[in-house]
Amino acid sequence: MLDVHGDFRCCDRCTGNATAVRASRRRMLKAAVLTAHGGPSGPEAGRAADFPVPGKLPRAVTGTVRDVSPHVLVIGNGASETRIALTSEATAWRGAPLEPSGVQPGDQAVVRLHPSQRSVADRIWANIGRVTGVIIERDADSLLVDEGKTKPRQLVTIPCAASGRIQVRFPNLEPGYLLDVIGVRRPGELEARIPATSQPAYPVGQMPAPAMVSGRVPATISGSVTWHDPVDEPPGLLGVSYPALDPGSGCAEDPVGSAAPQFVRMPYLAVGSVLQVSNDCTNSSCTLSVTGCAAIARLFNDRCVTCGTSPRGRIADLTQASFIALGGELERGCFNATITIGR
Amino acid sequence: MFGHAVLEIREAQVPLLSAMLLGGCAAKLARVLRVGSMDAGLGPTALFPLRLRRPVAVATAAVEFACGVALIVTAGGLGRGGPATGVRLATSLLFLVATCALIELRTSHPETGCGCFGEFSRAPVSGRTLARSAFFAAAALATIGLPPLRAPHPGADAARLLGIFAIELGVIALLSPELGEALTRLGYSEPCELRRLPTVRTLAALRRSSQWRKRAWLITTEVPVDMWRELCWRYVVFPARIGDRATEIIFAVYLRPHRPVVNSALVDSATGDVLAWPVAPARRRRFFAAKPQSTGLEPSGIRRLSADAESGSVSPAASLPISGARRPAPGASWPGPGSGLGAGSGRIPAGMLSAPSDPDQYLRAIRVDDPPNPGEDDLPLSSDL
Repeated sequence: MLDVHGDFRCCDRCTGNATAVRASRRRMLKAAVLTAHGGPSGPEAGRAADFPVPGKLPRAVTGTVRDVSPHVLVIGNGASETRIALTSEATAWRGAPLEPSGVQPGDQAVVRLHPSQRSVADRIWANIGRVTGVIIERDADSLLVDEGKTKPRQLVTIPCAASGRIQVRFPNLEPGYLLDVIGVRRPGELEARIPATSQPAYPVGQMPAPAMVSGRVPATISGSVTWHDPVDEPPGLLGVSYPALDPGSGCAEDPVGSAAPQFVRMPYLAVGSVLQVSNDCTNSSCTLSVTGCAAIARLFNDRCVTCGTSPRGRIADLTQASFIALGGELERGCFNATITIGR
Repeated sequence: MFGHAVLEIREAQVPLLSAMLLGGCAAKLARVLRVGSMDAGLGPTALFPLRLRRPVAVATAAVEFACGVALIVTAGGLGRGGPATGVRLATSLLFLVATCALIELRTSHPETGCGCFGEFSRAPVSGRTLARSAFFAAAALATIGLPPLRAPHPGADAARLLGIFAIELGVIALLSPELGEALTRLGYSEPCELRRLPTVRTLAALRRSSQWRKRAWLITTEVPVDMWRELCWRYVVFPARIGDRATEIIFAVYLRPHRPVVNSALVDSATGDVLAWPVAPARRRRFFAAKPQSTGLEPSGIRRLSADAESGSVSPAASLPISGARRPAPGASWPGPGSGLGAGSGRIPAGMLSAPSDPDQYLRAIRVDDPPNPGEDDLPLSSDL
């Protein structure tokens, strides 16, 4: 049996009240120094307050299914309960499409609500999970995956039914190679069902260096945007893990050596920085705060093909709620996106 | 005459081959040192299973180094006969095997670089790469059976030898895709947004700046309470105190290696308002009079506060907000310096303030017991939509 107890730490990157206060305080202080010196403070400072507008984007409810009937779904989160109406148009997913009333009490559910009818379910994902990282061990029926220093190791099992589908996209299920799969959460493990991308041909220790391009980094960057499992994040958090956090912050998360490649030219930011993320497939966009580091995302040089073919590279790793708010379908794994960074 | 010219060309191959082998070995070593792992090798090691790649990379570099050194050592009278021939045969064999491996690599891993010169050989194996390897194999074969090398006579002999070197280096340059990569690197200037600059250097540059000299008398702790980077700027926050009022000084340091631009602002810790800078005490004014005080960055419209010239204390009533910077919600409090790890009532003289040698040190100074309800500036949740 593989040992999942690895050393992981939160550092500056865990989300919660402490990070939230620090992020907002940083925005305030930055606005203060830029305003005092007549810098590019106007649009950038204004951007800090430009968080998603209520009622404009799909809202997600996350929690444990406490009761389900053909017409009503009850989602519990701690002491609170949310009753959500199920209509004939609602769809659900638990490893495969199923009837919304097929979700079971005890399932961890992510429910996307109708933007116009806030108590009506549009889509339900039950027990959905994702593991994105570097394979560090393998035994007969499972893989141990490292998702970076700030997350615990993940145990992934691949059932026979999904094995062929996954191995077509991930032919090297060996230590040192990258893995990105979506599946169903079981106690202590993820049962992989869908490959979320195609595996890079090289192991993480032999990544090709990115091209050297001179000149200023553009304020708008296009590429693939993915989502990640909430580990320590509060339910429903709107935020983004960014692949290029300042390496001088004293909490580097490079999984391979001290200089992990970064295929997309992305400027260094910090927790608390804000950027605008636009879904190029649905044309919806919102401004999100950086809440963590996408240490593994920067190792992928893949494209998203949800609508057309995106430029190479992962430019952001969203929380589930942000991904849903921007019109993403969790089981697809990504959407083509453009991020805009304030100057 | 023709025979003599051919002999000179054959003799020129020995130092050239040695230089190429040692140069390739050095470039590979530089890449390993930069990446920190032997596994990060390029080239024909990709043909081997993962567990064999490290020993193959080590063996390749070792053989290159050994052949390069041995070619020089056996070039003169020391290697007369057997040793010189053996070394040159081994070098020929090395280049022949390398040529075959590159052909195989081009077929099976068309996207992989040859790795011949480490980091510079990232371009996929091309016909030029193969031709260069074959050229070296032919050059090594041409050295077999040469008599011991002699130093050329000054004058015509030396000029002819230099000419041969120049022509051959030109041919090698034409066959080397690495030349383009090297020229690209020479002309590359890293944008400031991507520049890696340690926090220690930022703090050292800040300490040397005139902004620091002007503001340091207000600062109450040695280590910053927060530091972060966005794009081309690194922001450093120090707690400060004006009379009984807890404030914070934020410095924005432009990320460039030498003489960065530094901006600063004074912010009320409780309300988040930007405050006007208090006038330094008289003794400090005299001290700084020898140095230029105006950086040209003083915000226009900031009112000088009435201050006690001797004590440096400022009437709290005079410290009025001067801009519309964002304020926290009513009832919410900013994690101010007063309760931070570095809080203190005494001011630190500028000369005593120093950048922490441990880059993590400032992170540990950040408060983690922030209030549970941060107010309207909390990160938004999906339920807010």
